[in-house]
Amino acid sequence: MIRHHPSEATLLAYAAGRLPEPHRIVLRTHFALCPACAQTVRLATEIGGALLDEATPAALSAGSLARTLDRLDLRDPAVPAAPVPVTVAALATGRWRWIGPGLRMMSLRPRDAHDARLDLIRVAPGMELPSHGHTGTELTCVLQGAFRDETGVYAVGDVAEGDDTLEHRPAAMPTDETCVCLIATTGRLRAQSWLVRLIQPLIGV
Amino acid sequence: MNGLLDLSDRTTRLPDTIGMSCDPASWIRAIAERGDRAAFVSLFNHFAPRVKSFLMRAGLPAERAEELAQDTMVMVWRKAARFDPSAGSASAWIFTIARNLRIDAARRDRLAAAEADAIEDSPPPPPADTLFDAMERADRVRRAIALLPAEQAEVLRLSFFDDRPHSEIERALGIPLGTVKSRLRLAMARLRSLLDELR
Repeated sequence: MIRHHPSEATLLAYAAGRLPEPHRIVLRTHFALCPACAQTVRLATEIGGALLDEATPAALSAGSLARTLDRLDLRDPAVPAAPVPVTVAALATGRWRWIGPGLRMMSLRPRDAHDARLDLIRVAPGMELPSHGHTGTELTCVLQGAFRDETGVYAVGDVAEGDDTLEHRPAAMPTDETCVCLIATTGRLRAQSWLVRLIQPLIGV
Repeated sequence: MNGLLDLSDRTTRLPDTIGMSCDPASWIRAIAERGDRAAFVSLFNHFAPRVKSFLMRAGLPAERAEELAQDTMVMVWRKAARFDPSAGSASAWIFTIARNLRIDAARRDRLAAAEADAIEDSPPPPPADTLFDAMERADRVRRAIALLPAEQAEVLRLSFFDDRPHSEIERALGIPLGTVKSRLRLAMARLRSLLDELR
């Protein structure tokens, strides 16, 4: 039972193609477990189609149709082949880096041109992270176990959405299972703790 | 209200191919079944100028927008057999192709060949109980958007066209981010209930 969903604003931005790739991967992980959000994205895609229909047609350059017709029977490289979907499993080939006691991270996508990155984080049961915020947006999807912070308890499939106003202190639930989360972030970590600020450059967050 | 937010070009309605009814789904089927070039021309005449316009409004320069509009139509030709009218309308399908090409082009422009793998952001297939006629659905969505309160329709459009983060949209609209988000939530809720009423 999914209890925490991405905001409508985020789902619309996904459908509009306006989210960085790491955030799209986190959302697709959620959609696989959440028919309701998958349904919302389909509706948002229909909205995109309706807005396309009502767009004022722009004048095309002379010969635009003829040039396109000429390309129909070519296998030209100008149009990329059908893209291959990326799965988390296919990306998770790196190693778990030790960050602190009971805390490891694996980088799946390094910081890209949108300042976005994708990581897996693994937190031992009951382990609490130091209080921190973010300068950008953070999308987290729980893959295993559960965690809680000031905004609620998050279990498998749940998405936590944080922006630069969120200041939280997440902790893995004290169950048998290690908590594993997929996290897409833009911007940097903001932390009060001198210890976190000290290790920040080392772990690149 | 400033010019940026003048979204009044919502007068254009679907049928515009002279003397022909506009049925994009059947054109796509004709392409899939028999490589029908006349159907492609109809589809091109309807959608290519709109895809170009859409991409320009999303911030692409005219020349780039036209290239991608042509690429989109070539993709439509090649992938016609994969169009599934039970999964969504023709307009939504073509919108998805254009959107993915734009994402892909932006990525290649920035990252060159470093990114070998690409991602297809198609919405997941619908569960069987939500299937209904694609034409009817597209039409209902269009009518529902037209019935939305103006400020809700506006945030909805901005989230598609205005290629800026919400923090800048909030500045443009002069309302706080929380309000943009809650307005979007209201717009989607209203849209859903309108869709139920129009069924």
